[in-house]
Amino acid sequence: MSVAMEKAEPGADNPPAARPSRFAGLRRGGGILLAQLLVLAAFLGYWEAMTASNKQSAFMFGSPSAIAGFLVKMATDGSLWQDTWVTGMETVLGFVVGNCIGTVIGLSLWYSRFVSAVVHPFIIALGSIPTIALAPIIIIWFGTGLISKIAMATLSVVVVAVVTSYKGAIGVDPDQINLMRTLGASKFQIFRKLVVPASLTDIFAGLRLTVGFALIGAIIGEFMSSSEGLGHAIFKAGSLYIIPKVFAALVATIVLALLLTFVVGKVERVLTPWRRTD
Amino acid sequence: MQPARPSSPVAATPPLAVRNLRKVFGEDVGRPSEVIADISVSLAHGEIVAIVGPSGCGKSTLLNLLCGLMPRSRGEVLWYGAPATGMPKRVGYMLQKDLLLPWRTALKNVSLGLELHDVPAGERVERSRKLLDVIGLGGFHDYYPSALSGGMRQRVALARTMANEPEVLLLDEPFAALDFQTKLVLENDMARLVRSQHRSLLLITHDVEEAVSLADRVIVLSHRPTRVKAVYDVGLDADRTDMMAARESRGFTDYVRKIWSDLEVTRS
Repeated sequence: MSVAMEKAEPGADNPPAARPSRFAGLRRGGGILLAQLLVLAAFLGYWEAMTASNKQSAFMFGSPSAIAGFLVKMATDGSLWQDTWVTGMETVLGFVVGNCIGTVIGLSLWYSRFVSAVVHPFIIALGSIPTIALAPIIIIWFGTGLISKIAMATLSVVVVAVVTSYKGAIGVDPDQINLMRTLGASKFQIFRKLVVPASLTDIFAGLRLTVGFALIGAIIGEFMSSSEGLGHAIFKAGSLYIIPKVFAALVATIVLALLLTFVVGKVERVLTPWRRTD
Repeated sequence: MQPARPSSPVAATPPLAVRNLRKVFGEDVGRPSEVIADISVSLAHGEIVAIVGPSGCGKSTLLNLLCGLMPRSRGEVLWYGAPATGMPKRVGYMLQKDLLLPWRTALKNVSLGLELHDVPAGERVERSRKLLDVIGLGGFHDYYPSALSGGMRQRVALARTMANEPEVLLLDEPFAALDFQTKLVLENDMARLVRSQHRSLLLITHDVEEAVSLADRVIVLSHRPTRVKAVYDVGLDADRTDMMAARESRGFTDYVRKIWSDLEVTRS
């Protein structure tokens, strides 16, 4: 019926938008990766050289080769996997529980401006408490087992999740809400079909942020009292002045954090396909 | 799509009648500012009415008042002869912003209104598909809005408005952000859809040529506080679903010139 199309006809060989060459992107990505590896190699090389030549104390600072030695040893005796698994599980469980609770609270605050105004100062107050300050109480309440670490990770996450999801919910374009109303939407339909999906961007930003927070919470919990986990390994090696072992456990912690962040990014891409920019 | 019922009982009363509408902002804080002084407008069944006015004359306020999105200070808004309470039924609404939901494909955006009214999934998809085909987006059903051009997005918005089969369409500068060619094509599509299905259309615009070429009646508003300044019944000797023919017909330029002088654009 229309007289003319202002854009190309659809079809597999006629993509809707001009995309920059895939290879150009790859080349630039490769360059960045190369530069990052060079920085890392230079840092490790300098560290190794200084400690090997006794300009700096290998006892105080450890050395990359000693750290690698401990990593191999911990991998072969299985403690590396066991500790990483324990800390990872605590982190993931705390992350999931904290974000579920926080997101549900944050989004439902959209429903009532009055309630959100009432609770706002309380949320800020709770958010300003350092999680570590709660650790002794958590251990009294939940014991020294797995639950107290999950509780610590949850507490590190929940307030951030409330704030980011609430910010997403109230940031919805008022014209968009009016449009839903003119289409005959009820308040619940506006919430379900507009507010929740529109908040996903902010919710995922919160998720990427809180992966790290959950890990910190779990490790603080392990510092307070534990028999396994990466925090336990760091604390124990530190008390015994085995510096390279502290660093080895730290390396495992960093790898765990990167892995979890990567997974969250993947999940985000799968759940928000419309934001893929090809 | 079924055509609207031309011989239904409501056809006798005009779908929309506005009497002595007035809107004053800030009365409650003691600094009243009168935006709309006195506007009376009526929209007959199957009629296209355009409202033009100088910028800042409260056109969007008027639309919000009609939709019940804002309380009025005085006057009456009658939908099918009954005083409006809240959102009027069977009215479609379209703005300059397409307001498509970015997480929904073109098809899913069109079917949004049907979904809100619990139309079964099969029927929903079928009706939305047909509409997209009619509006010239046959191959773009599964595209996300981010992959569509501005004109295509506005077409999807038009299809979404039509999907609910509103008897009355309220449009606020729907094509203002588009380039001239795209605008003409969309105006054609719109005129054809609205006239073939005997729907009523109230168009708010600042584009005098658009108003004259599309509408049966053009209402010119004054500067603030706004009143109706002039009303023109547009009689053009042309196919009223062909915007190019309308623009080339005799009399078109006269209407445009008269309305321009009513608007007193040079003064502001």
